[in-house]
Amino acid sequence: MPFQYYPLDSPVHRLDPRVKIIAVLLVSILLLKASLPSLAAATVGFVFISWASRTPLTAVLKSLKPVLPFFICLFILYLFFTPGSPLPYLSFGPVQVTQEGLTMAITQVGKFLLLVAAASLFTMTTSPIEITTGLERLLRPLKVFGLSSHDLAMMISLAFRFIPQFVIELNSIRQAQQARGADLNESGIAGKIRLMAGLASTLASNMFRRSDQLIDAMEARGYHPGPRTYLNNLCFRRSDYGVLAALTVIAVAVWL
Amino acid sequence: MIEIKNLTYIYDTQQSPALENINLSIQPGEYVAIIGPNGGGKTTLIRQLNALLTPTQGEVWIDGLSTGNVKNHKEIRRLVGMIFQNPDNQIVGMTVEEDVAFGPGNLGLSPAEIQRRVDSALAAVGLSELGKRAPHALSGGQKQRLALAGLLAMDPKIIVLDEPTAALDTSGQTEVFRQIEKLHQQGLTIIFITQDMEEAARADRVLVLHQGRLVADDHPAQVLTRVEWLLSLGLAPPRLVQLMCRLRESGFDIGTDVFDVERACQQISTLVTGQRQMLTDRKPREV
Repeated sequence: MPFQYYPLDSPVHRLDPRVKIIAVLLVSILLLKASLPSLAAATVGFVFISWASRTPLTAVLKSLKPVLPFFICLFILYLFFTPGSPLPYLSFGPVQVTQEGLTMAITQVGKFLLLVAAASLFTMTTSPIEITTGLERLLRPLKVFGLSSHDLAMMISLAFRFIPQFVIELNSIRQAQQARGADLNESGIAGKIRLMAGLASTLASNMFRRSDQLIDAMEARGYHPGPRTYLNNLCFRRSDYGVLAALTVIAVAVWL
Repeated sequence: MIEIKNLTYIYDTQQSPALENINLSIQPGEYVAIIGPNGGGKTTLIRQLNALLTPTQGEVWIDGLSTGNVKNHKEIRRLVGMIFQNPDNQIVGMTVEEDVAFGPGNLGLSPAEIQRRVDSALAAVGLSELGKRAPHALSGGQKQRLALAGLLAMDPKIIVLDEPTAALDTSGQTEVFRQIEKLHQQGLTIIFITQDMEEAARADRVLVLHQGRLVADDHPAQVLTRVEWLLSLGLAPPRLVQLMCRLRESGFDIGTDVFDVERACQQISTLVTGQRQMLTDRKPREV
């Protein structure tokens, strides 16, 4: 499954989740104004980090698959509809591929692909618990606006926790419907939608009942909104400071 | 120590009370089973014990703290741990360890202290090896033991269980009860709801709730042997008790407070050897 956590031991895995979150956000912002050469440099950097994380590169590439059709469309649009000097041999009457169009298509689509790949590498090297703990720490300043980062982290962590439950539930509802003679291979878009509607409403009502019981269980264990403590304490190490310093240097260099 | 005085609880004013004038006290270290037909008020009663519900009338005191006072709820929920019927819907964490850490985290303990409690709670229920696993990958019995570990990490005095084995298979049931009995031996007060009369017979005290009233409160030997009465409430008496009562009605001199196969076997074989003895004694004279 794309975006799934790979429990390995690597320098990238060992980084503090806060550093990784900041890195992904910063790189995303910097990439938006990147030119073709700097995009190429970023890609080389990304491949190196991906190698250092010991996660299979094919898994990162697989995460790009679902978004590919969208990016192919984008590529074609940029290719044919950017004004500029037409390239020889690649123009057919009114449809022209320009030098600018080709550069634009490669840079823009390359940027977005790299963004998706970076996000996928992040979730592959950071466990859901680390992500929630990291987010909780980073969002603490939101307290000024009356938002509790603890409550947000709790919500995110419950969402993560319910994903496998969700899949199990969906399968059992599907089997229950099959057992009563539902045809799950209905063809046509209308049929598919009808099918999904049936599954979704049952799934939603089941999930609401479950969450009702979960609320009782949480309250019984003394849950209260607001500050709480955690098993995992985050602590910056030397490598974390190193990565933060490197990020600062890159950011300053790009800005100047 | 639990003190319940004149407890009445009403969900809906249109309907009859879910609990009516309950008076009860449970001493530290007791092992109590609650039985009764569905809708009798069992779940409503135990939810009063950790202040998930508070009395409409009357009072519930847990170690000198009244559940009527919201300020006491945090401490009451630490003192009284609760296990629910469905093991899946009470797991909060993404890993076993993290789930156990949920309660101590609510208490605001330091990460080092949380780690210490998580380790000892998981060791107590025999799940130390599975700390990093995802909870949904555990078996039903393991999930209920995980839920127990989550409570133990809060250092409770009383553990309340709402049909903890109803969703489990036989080996899961044995697994969970072995754990519960271990905790009882360590001095914890155990209160559990059950539909299974054999499970109820394991307790030291049985409460029967019927239409919101406490209709019996005694030793299992006194309560579970009242076959006709239990049947009239819509409850099934233990099968062995039914068997013993039938034998007794047929004129055999036999005790009816028999809850395990071992004792039943003993009683019946004494009876049979006695009969055989009488027959062999008689034979020579007939000749």
